[in-house]
Amino acid sequence: MIYETTPLAVAVFVAFVVAVLALSIWLGSRARSAGGYFAAHGQVGWFVNGIAFAGDYLSAASFLGICGMIAFSGYDGFLYSIGYLAGWIVALFVIAEPVKRLGRFTLADALNARFQSRGIKVVAAVSTLVISLFYLVPQMVGAGALVKPLLGLPHWAGVVMVGIVVTGIVATAGMVSTTWVQFIKGTLLVAICTFVVVLILGRGFAVPERPIPPDTVQTYSKDASGTFVNGAPLSADNQLDSKLRRDFGTGFGSIASLPGGVSETGPLGPIEYIRVFADSTVTTWKKGSDPAGSTAFSPVERKGSDLLLPGGSPTFKGVRADSIASKLDFISLMLALFLGTASLPHILIRYYTVRDPAAARKSTVVGIGAIGIFYVLTLYLGIGAMTSGALDPTDSNMSAPLLAKTFGEGLFAVISAVAFTTVLGTVSGLVMAGAGAVAHDLMKDAMRMELSDGQQVRAGKIAAVLLGIGAIILGILFERMNVTFLVGWAFNVAASANLPALVMLLFWKGTTRQGVIAAMAMGLVSSLTWIMLSADTLEKVYGYSAADAAASSLVPFSQPAILTVPLGFATLVLVSLMTRGRGGGVATED
Amino acid sequence: MSDDPDIRRGARLGIAFFSIYTAFYAAFVGVAAFGTFAAGAPSGGLASMAALGLPWGVVAGFGLIGGAFVLAVVYAVIAGRGGRT
Repeated sequence: MIYETTPLAVAVFVAFVVAVLALSIWLGSRARSAGGYFAAHGQVGWFVNGIAFAGDYLSAASFLGICGMIAFSGYDGFLYSIGYLAGWIVALFVIAEPVKRLGRFTLADALNARFQSRGIKVVAAVSTLVISLFYLVPQMVGAGALVKPLLGLPHWAGVVMVGIVVTGIVATAGMVSTTWVQFIKGTLLVAICTFVVVLILGRGFAVPERPIPPDTVQTYSKDASGTFVNGAPLSADNQLDSKLRRDFGTGFGSIASLPGGVSETGPLGPIEYIRVFADSTVTTWKKGSDPAGSTAFSPVERKGSDLLLPGGSPTFKGVRADSIASKLDFISLMLALFLGTASLPHILIRYYTVRDPAAARKSTVVGIGAIGIFYVLTLYLGIGAMTSGALDPTDSNMSAPLLAKTFGEGLFAVISAVAFTTVLGTVSGLVMAGAGAVAHDLMKDAMRMELSDGQQVRAGKIAAVLLGIGAIILGILFERMNVTFLVGWAFNVAASANLPALVMLLFWKGTTRQGVIAAMAMGLVSSLTWIMLSADTLEKVYGYSAADAAASSLVPFSQPAILTVPLGFATLVLVSLMTRGRGGGVATED
Repeated sequence: MSDDPDIRRGARLGIAFFSIYTAFYAAFVGVAAFGTFAAGAPSGGLASMAALGLPWGVVAGFGLIGGAFVLAVVYAVIAGRGGRT
């Protein structure tokens, strides 16, 4: 589809980004020491830190990906919302306060608090970098996807913009400016999404002027000579939804019939909105191909109640199958979301920015509140987009911004700018975690380089610049790939590599240095190996067809956490028992 | 685990709250995986079960999200009363 760039959109976008940057740099201008650079002097207030948690955690995958998944497939996107939020329970009840007590700047600090082991530092730093990499790529690709419709710029320009801005944020004042970017972003995201949901409820549902016949087909093809819609070149007057709008008065995604045969509902309350949707029939669009090889979209009417059951998307279709392997894949992903949050390095380092464990606890509660509100809103945003007549069937990630566009260009510009700051906030946290792992864990502690406070900060800034350049390159290379699934993998790897070591260190006195190293290495290697051999990777990374990928896969399902997390625990216990009294040391918490 | 009695008490409290929430989350995942469909079609009772006229998945999802916040606040209040820092 072609999106028109308007001066208003550009002005709002530029104003947002400049304001966020200026404020963060001003607020962070006093960070000079390593404590200031890596942990904001440990003086961030618990409320600000709580909202910054939301800003750090609610990534492009949450905002654009979940809304898009609900808009295209229904309830399955909401499963991610539930799993992502549930993970904070592990963070609050098990991890938050001990991690704050044990650590200083990084995840490795907490894991290594009792052992002073170079091995733990190395494996924790590698784990941090791998997880951050999995998380970074979809954010960068999301940035590229956003600037195309908003500013009319190519994908690479968006990726470069994010890379430069984030490197600027992290290299100027590290965790202080990162915290304020995340705070501003978290506040804006929840506030703007709440506003859009109020508008959605106020509008209610309406059926199109004329019903869409089931034999309607819209085709789309792209080759060296250009892009074609229904056999004619793509243009402002011949977009994928142009004919639909002319013939039926709506684009993709609409209500086919409302309960009671009414043509519109008028404003609805939040419970009534879901209830009416469940009792309605919705026109969704199935993707296929026509005899000429073009991608063909044809309408499929589905009951709203069916769209509010799990298993409607390719990701979770196993829920509706009878095969145990398919169901295990689903359970494994939900387990990874539950256990992965509290193991994500860029989340854990936020605990070092507050004064004490009590502040860590309170800020997590604030974070759960803000994040929980957002995830409830995702269901309304997704359903609103699904029935807005404004979907782009070639790009689910644009569902939320295009929904906002149905309320006016101004809101589209604001939502897109907020989405861009969403990317900035999360990428800043990821680069910060990576910079800490390189400068503090690898260079200073593992390689035993004699670094003064100032040198450590400089090393962190150089690492941030290098990570920013790496992120830009990966964001450009992965443009064509559907990368949302990488976030799910990041949760699998984080849960497998980090959680067993963190939990056992806190709750089992018999944990040894060797046990921690072995468990982290086992969790990291086993989860990565499993992912690389899975059907999902064969299809989405190596380009196999779905059938070939399923036939060639060496593992029975794609999400490894259900096996690799227990494997990490078992490895730690076994190795710790074998190495007790042999210089392994044992762990106790202060 | 730490030998500090305050920290041990706090850890026990955290584990108790964690266990409660985990039980509900596990039940939700189990129902979604095994209790909603049979042979690719909604399996009757559970699939059509609803509260407030809403499908079970929506009620459970809102419950898990809202319940997490409620538990978090209760935990914070109890832990705060215990004077832990």
